[in-house]
Amino acid sequence: MFDKKVVRRRRAALAVFVALSIAVLTAYFGESGGGFFHALQRGSQEAFAPVESGASRALKPVRDLFGWVGDTFDAKGDNEQLRAEVERLRSELARSQTAERDAAQLSGIVGLSRQDMYPRGTDPIAARVIARAPTVWYSSVKIDKGSGDGVKVDQPVIAAGGLVGRVTQVTGGTAEVRLITDASSAVTAQVMPEGASGVVRPQVGNPNDLLLDLIEGDRRVTEDTTVVTSGFTSTKVESLFPRGIPIGTVTKVDLDEFEQYQRVHIRPFANLRRFDIVQVLTRRPPNTQAAALPEGSAP
Amino acid sequence: MIVAPMTFVRVGLLLILAVILQVSAVSQTSIFGGHADLVVLTVAAIAYYAGSVSGCAVGFAAGFLLDLASGATMGASSLVLTAIGYSVGRFRELRDPSHGLMPAPVGAAATAGWVLTFAAVSFMLDVGARVSPLVIRDMVVTVVLNTLIAIPWFVAIRRILRPSLSVDPVELGRRRQQPRSAGPIGLRGLEI
Repeated sequence: MFDKKVVRRRRAALAVFVALSIAVLTAYFGESGGGFFHALQRGSQEAFAPVESGASRALKPVRDLFGWVGDTFDAKGDNEQLRAEVERLRSELARSQTAERDAAQLSGIVGLSRQDMYPRGTDPIAARVIARAPTVWYSSVKIDKGSGDGVKVDQPVIAAGGLVGRVTQVTGGTAEVRLITDASSAVTAQVMPEGASGVVRPQVGNPNDLLLDLIEGDRRVTEDTTVVTSGFTSTKVESLFPRGIPIGTVTKVDLDEFEQYQRVHIRPFANLRRFDIVQVLTRRPPNTQAAALPEGSAP
Repeated sequence: MIVAPMTFVRVGLLLILAVILQVSAVSQTSIFGGHADLVVLTVAAIAYYAGSVSGCAVGFAAGFLLDLASGATMGASSLVLTAIGYSVGRFRELRDPSHGLMPAPVGAAATAGWVLTFAAVSFMLDVGARVSPLVIRDMVVTVVLNTLIAIPWFVAIRRILRPSLSVDPVELGRRRQQPRSAGPIGLRGLEI
């Protein structure tokens, strides 16, 4: 009934392609960043970039149409939330302006030179997102600026006033940005104004809720406070992110069962599900005071 | 499928088009937290019309292209899409379905298989971060969206592939159906 030759051919084809996939997977994990498959990936990304860029621009009206439908659903809730936030920020702005004036006068008194802080002194380069990874398990985007524009690996990337990720691969005209929602991401951060430090980790599948882990239980964190990159530095290691880049707002604080550490939930400032324009910070601002990290946390 | 240079060109262009559309437009269009996935639909459609051997070959090629374009771990998508292509192709060979609405359940099953198996592979490769329950919502949205667009997408791919198909399952099904008897005035169903 069944032709044995056909069955054998079919099974052989399946075995060959599964074996090939596993071989590629193993080789990719085993090789360094300069290996064959990584180089192939960079080369193909550069080759595809003009087509992807064109397609991204041409299809932007369609994306915007679908985005508009979704935004309309969210707009009502956002409106009320933003009104409350504007009121809170107005009072915070007044306090900050007073504090800044005081600080300027005090630093003049002690003879300290004023240093540029984020975003001043970072030489930001604006770039357009031309491609996005299609699964939630790898959160990365491709941008239309590369080494030819001054973009380098490990430079931080921001959008809409908040950190979105860092550059992980660069070609002449494009760069890959690994987002802070990627499973492999970890950013040292500090809660302002309390000063508690920890590591921001993502929750795969929920880009609107990041976790700030490893905060000591005795340094209480309150809701509605701002989380910024801590820019950790020591003699041996240095954080990839300069100090002071806003990440998000604290929405909830959980204590673990032994109350040794707190787990802080953060709503990122940038809409990590949907952004078209980003800025790559191509220059590191002069170092400011290093943040203290709890023991055992990675920079 | 007829193995000829034009077949490779057609299938290659289809896959490149699907991958570019996916990474540069569809992945950036969030609908209720998720997005459609054209690559798995394309693999499922080609496997549905061309069989299991072509299905697994096309699945491997589509996964390879997707990983190249998206910068993800190479080999992971190929592994899963090879299995999806083979399964859809075998389904067609064993059941020989020819109903016009068949692409919808086939597209839904292929997409569900893709998102679940890819999640399992990602876990095996060590995710390294907490996983939110919202991942399940994203998966459901992707399956629903793909089910909605499966029929027109399969029809479009069938039209492109038609010259290269040795057996067209839809045409085969049509020919197998007995024509209904016509009456003396030539109207079917009115045997008067």
